[in-house]
Amino acid sequence: MTERKFVKPLKPKVDVNKVNTRILPVEFEYFEPRTVKEVVELLSKYGSDAKILAGGTDLIVRMKQRFIEPKYIVNIKKVKELNFIEDRRDHLAIGAATKLREIENSGIVRKKFTALYEAVRSMAGVQIRNMATIGGNLCNASPAADTAPPLLVFEAKLKIVGLDGEKLVPISEFFLGPGKTVLKHNEVLAEIWIPYQPEGTESAFIKIARVAMDLAKVNVAVALRTEGGVVKSVRIALGAVAPTPIRAYKTEEFLTGKELSEAVLEKAAEIVKTEVKPITDIRSTAEYRREVSGVIVKDALLKAYERISGR
Amino acid sequence: MGSVASSSLKQEGFRYIGKRTPRKDGVAKVTGQMRYAYDIYLPGMLYGRILKSPYPHARIKSIDVSEAEKMGAVVITFKDVPKKKFNIRLVSADRVNYKDWEVLTDHPKYVGDYVAAVAAETEELAQKAVEAIKIEWEVFEPLLDPFESMKDGRPKIHDKILFGSKEITVKNNVACRLDYSEGDVEKAFKEADVVIERTFKTNRRYHMQLEPKVAVAKPEPDGGITVWTTTQTIHNTRILISQVFDIPMSKVNVKKLPIGGSFGSSIQTNLVTLVAVALALKAGRPVKIALSREEDMYEHSSYQMYFRLKVAARKDGTILAGELENIMDIGGHQIQAYPLLGCLLGWFVSLYKWKNIKYKGIAVYTNKVPACAFRGYGNPQITWAVESVIDELAEALGIDPIELRLKNYVGRGDLFWGQGPTVKSIVKSDGVPELLKKGAELIGWYNRPRSGEQKGRFRRGIGLGRGFHTSGAGGRISGEVIDFTGCILKINEDGSVDYITALQDHGGGSLDAHAKIIAEELGVPLEKINIIWADTQTTVYDVCTHASRGTYVGGEAARRAAREVKKKLLEYAVRLLGDVVNPEALSIKPDEELGQGVIYVEGMPDKKITVGEVAREAWQRNWGSIAAVVSYRATNSPPAYTVYFVEVEVDTETGRVRPVRVVAGADVGTVINPDLAAGQLHGGFVQGWGMAVLEDTPYDPETGELMCRGFITDYKITTAQDLPKIDDFTVIFASTHEPTGPFGAKGLGEAALNPVAGAVANAIYNAIGVRFYELPITPEKILKALKERGVK
Repeated sequence: MTERKFVKPLKPKVDVNKVNTRILPVEFEYFEPRTVKEVVELLSKYGSDAKILAGGTDLIVRMKQRFIEPKYIVNIKKVKELNFIEDRRDHLAIGAATKLREIENSGIVRKKFTALYEAVRSMAGVQIRNMATIGGNLCNASPAADTAPPLLVFEAKLKIVGLDGEKLVPISEFFLGPGKTVLKHNEVLAEIWIPYQPEGTESAFIKIARVAMDLAKVNVAVALRTEGGVVKSVRIALGAVAPTPIRAYKTEEFLTGKELSEAVLEKAAEIVKTEVKPITDIRSTAEYRREVSGVIVKDALLKAYERISGR
Repeated sequence: MGSVASSSLKQEGFRYIGKRTPRKDGVAKVTGQMRYAYDIYLPGMLYGRILKSPYPHARIKSIDVSEAEKMGAVVITFKDVPKKKFNIRLVSADRVNYKDWEVLTDHPKYVGDYVAAVAAETEELAQKAVEAIKIEWEVFEPLLDPFESMKDGRPKIHDKILFGSKEITVKNNVACRLDYSEGDVEKAFKEADVVIERTFKTNRRYHMQLEPKVAVAKPEPDGGITVWTTTQTIHNTRILISQVFDIPMSKVNVKKLPIGGSFGSSIQTNLVTLVAVALALKAGRPVKIALSREEDMYEHSSYQMYFRLKVAARKDGTILAGELENIMDIGGHQIQAYPLLGCLLGWFVSLYKWKNIKYKGIAVYTNKVPACAFRGYGNPQITWAVESVIDELAEALGIDPIELRLKNYVGRGDLFWGQGPTVKSIVKSDGVPELLKKGAELIGWYNRPRSGEQKGRFRRGIGLGRGFHTSGAGGRISGEVIDFTGCILKINEDGSVDYITALQDHGGGSLDAHAKIIAEELGVPLEKINIIWADTQTTVYDVCTHASRGTYVGGEAARRAAREVKKKLLEYAVRLLGDVVNPEALSIKPDEELGQGVIYVEGMPDKKITVGEVAREAWQRNWGSIAAVVSYRATNSPPAYTVYFVEVEVDTETGRVRPVRVVAGADVGTVINPDLAAGQLHGGFVQGWGMAVLEDTPYDPETGELMCRGFITDYKITTAQDLPKIDDFTVIFASTHEPTGPFGAKGLGEAALNPVAGAVANAIYNAIGVRFYELPITPEKILKALKERGVK
């Protein structure tokens, strides 16, 4: 044994004796409220010990992994006012507990918000999309959340309800960091309002991942409006390249008023690379993410432009 | 199943062999009624959980289980298990088996090594109890790199281990080694026109079999134990339990259950089985332990290999020498490192006629998850390296890669020792030329682009990989590998047939193949053959379903049993038919309408009797059972050859590679079941594609944990959406016949994987002109390489 060098106990990053995705050996109290009011009251009562259960595809897994151990679970699946897709003239409203599969199957989403449709289609498999919700995807606040970039480029607003009433928050102000949002413990994300875009706007979503049905190495959405090949309006958002999903404002600014030539697209890709702040993790490298961010922004712009020109 | 070039299925004259037939276990599987080990529930059963080391290398100073016991849990630690070292795999002869395992240890050698276990009324309670065990640790500096591990003065991972029954001291963390040479490579390198030397590094893949390990152990009143577990070998599991716990074999019964895939991960008796036994013996009640997927990922991986490969050839394309250095990262324990050193040499020398050979193989301990066999057993690794270098050689010589292969491959009439130096035979069937010719036509080989000349963002390339795997590990001398099988076959009193074998089916349909072989040999309808879920008490020995031996070895045993049974059947039929002179005058054929085999005299339609009638009469007249017991050792382990042509498309801006078209060719001799055989090739491609471009289990250098922490979120395998369209995947079978196999059949499972990574790597090279020497070839690596080379 003298030949072995002692080291200070290494601090394992996860506990092999706890983490798993099958056994849930913790106890919690469970609620099934029927109204948003009841949800908010429960959240207010139990504070940070409570967690909202929507689809459960993130929450339950994280509980089994023992990364979180909430004492109270508030299931919002049975709150009807959180589960709908509704055309409200100037915007499309989607209840936060609406399943991804319902969004995917909505004709209006597919037609008017193609990037959101494409993002949802790229997420997991059908079984998971039948459980997972759009609100859950946003509130989980993964930097790689696939529904975030489309909602960012459509400049969606999020209706948040608390004990003191409700407020509308632009999605660009919603995310604070990995796993962090502006939601307070006693607030619930109730609705996502997606404004209808001016006539002629088209959008596209592209994701780069290791395999199909995977988390993004990089994802991007664009919303584009052109006139005679000249960019009238463009919004670009990327995920998994910064602590939160981000807008590429400088690239948007550069592109506005320009004709979408190959040289302009190349330049835009270069600017995108300066706007992202990726990291290296098990899914990819910072270098790769930066490089590919530029490529897929270019690809997404072309895809949207092809949709405008009807090709 | 895509397209199968059926013209090559020259199997006329057979009733079942080569025909599409439904799987016997199909309905139970697709309706979810099949019961796996996880579905076993016994009255009074407790649930077990295992406490694992959170550190890659440590020793327990003290352990306190009192809190766990207060919860009502039964607890065992390293103090409660037999003080024995053993190897969890018993396929090698005992005298050459390295033994460094314990049931539970106070000296864990990787994150995940077992130190204690509990059993409680519910799995949740067991989990809480396991978390309540307190341990004071001494933690050592981990070794995660084999080259670092071998250096002088590095921490010792093992002190003393056993080799056979002899205690030996491990030096420089070298688990075992093997050197070999034939001829004079140095002289050949001097005389050659072209010499190429390269180094390769493979990945460490997780098997990702569908079913994580489960073990249920039930103590019996006579001091014995009954076990239901995930295993490729019920008999070796029984023997190991008997040896470790000193229980006579007759009192250990291991039940055969369906398993949800395996890919080599249960050739060894999973340690969880022994822990379940230890817990059940202490508790006096049945105990079930089901590993989570995360735990399973800390159980096993493929062998990661570092090769240095040097080859030489003459201008005319004659290969003159092959030198191979193979450093294997085996992780914290030996499962089959030593036989693998031999097999790897066997794969190497049986790929091409090197003429002069030099080999150095070293297996090195590291503080990582123990490596074990993974479909192909090192053959996919070495075939990737060799097929890459053969393409490089072809390019340097200006010879077409197909021509170079045909000139030098080990084929019909050549000495073949795929399973290593102790298993040698002569190749008797060889479909390589046929597969290469047909495959080349189907993929458009001669129109493929010249490497590196493509322009534009998306570049396509076509690559070829050729390889083989053995059919079992049989041979003419007993050698160092145990390989024999056996079965019992009996005609029931109504003419139905019970087929009783210990041989396990991993889900690929080995036992369906046996049923077809029996039906064909015996001449009874296929639906009459009933495959029994047997156990060790009611079967004769089978070593293990591995080495692609299920059909070739097990199928031949089944055929021999059918032949014996048929002999008895005809003898009885002679008695019953009166004036028939002897059994040779009779034939049997299945009558689907009657649902019976019919015994008849050729040309005399009235002289007939059904198998059911013979069986009934033998019973009613007290003639006895019509049954046979066979124990069978194959004296050959012939190569099943495979050839893959793969077309890929590389996106030079994102580095992503997409498989566009695949032509998968296999020489398996007679094809028993074309759909299942084609399924092996589809599955082999999927796994090979993952090996080539996707899969790996890197370690956290600070903590010795898996970077993916055991989560499948971050261990990805290829999905259906990532594959070519089904119509772009063509399967071809060679029209060969293996004289030593049942109805001319050979193995397939592993051959279906072995050449894939080589074909993919060669296709990537053909597309972008860049060769990679480290797997997996990720988009990150491709993009980096393209940028470094200024490819635009």
